[in-house]
Amino acid sequence: MKISDFIHGLAEELEIESRLTANTNIKDLDEWDSLQAMVLISYVSEYFGVSLTGSDIHEITTIESLITKIGPERFEQE
Amino acid sequence: MGGNIIVTGVTSGIGLGLSTALLEKDCTILGIGRDISKLQRQINLESNKQFFFESFDLSDLGGIEELINNFISAHGKIDGFVHCAGIEETIPLSMYKVDKVRRIYEINVFAAIELLRIVSKKKNSNDGASFIFLSSVMGALGQSGKVGYCSTKAAILGMVKASAIELAKRKIRVNAVLPGIVTTPLTEKLFSELSEENISRIKDMHPLGIGEVGDITPVITFLLSNQSRWITGQSLTVDGGYSIQ
Repeated sequence: MKISDFIHGLAEELEIESRLTANTNIKDLDEWDSLQAMVLISYVSEYFGVSLTGSDIHEITTIESLITKIGPERFEQE
Repeated sequence: MGGNIIVTGVTSGIGLGLSTALLEKDCTILGIGRDISKLQRQINLESNKQFFFESFDLSDLGGIEELINNFISAHGKIDGFVHCAGIEETIPLSMYKVDKVRRIYEINVFAAIELLRIVSKKKNSNDGASFIFLSSVMGALGQSGKVGYCSTKAAILGMVKASAIELAKRKIRVNAVLPGIVTTPLTEKLFSELSEENISRIKDMHPLGIGEVGDITPVITFLLSNQSRWITGQSLTVDGGYSIQ
């Protein structure tokens, strides 16, 4: 999956109305709450087989930091 | 107590704790599980002549009857059956597509009904046998991300009541146990996905604290025994007070 597709898909799953970019701090989003965290965990698990823990979620800020946590090498070139 | 008992989900958690307790009560056990290596660390299979392990994936519904028949041919009819196997998952509703729903139903519900169908046949079980299904306190309550888990565990409660009536003429009893959170590999996995704050909140929701496997197994052995001979079709919650608040 390309990073742009990942961000687009994540925005769809989280039902984010504003534009999501690599620099967006997901915790600043109006929509962000514990249920959204659960959706995020499921989305990453489904597409990357990576299980994010509670402390991972605590550490993540921007989408870029999420990508770092997943592992940039798991993404296809744009 | 003695007798032939089938236990599923035998390689860890409540299934493993129960098997250990039943071996001390002189039962002969058919233990069904997937990963024998986990079991070997707990029970010396070679020296224990009353424990028979079968590595089997319960989503293979078509193979269950042969598995049970082989045990009965060798050891005689069943006196008790405890279904501990199950999967727990946290998936938000928006991502819960039908293939995932089908998978959890195969293990938690369809395998349970297929096992019950087979063991309850007159040729396979003695009159007065006792069948126990592990539901969950989540079978009676709800929680975010648990549409699959809660609904499968609730399905078990309906199955138990209907089958208890159907099998009463042979004095066969069918009951469900609804555990709250006890320390097992399943809950350790659950906690690994949660923040410290959420874990602490969950612990605070249990007036008697988080349980241990040993808090559940005596209830199951009681329901297997003749001491509970007038109890059938019941859903027995064992949750440290979680559900009373």
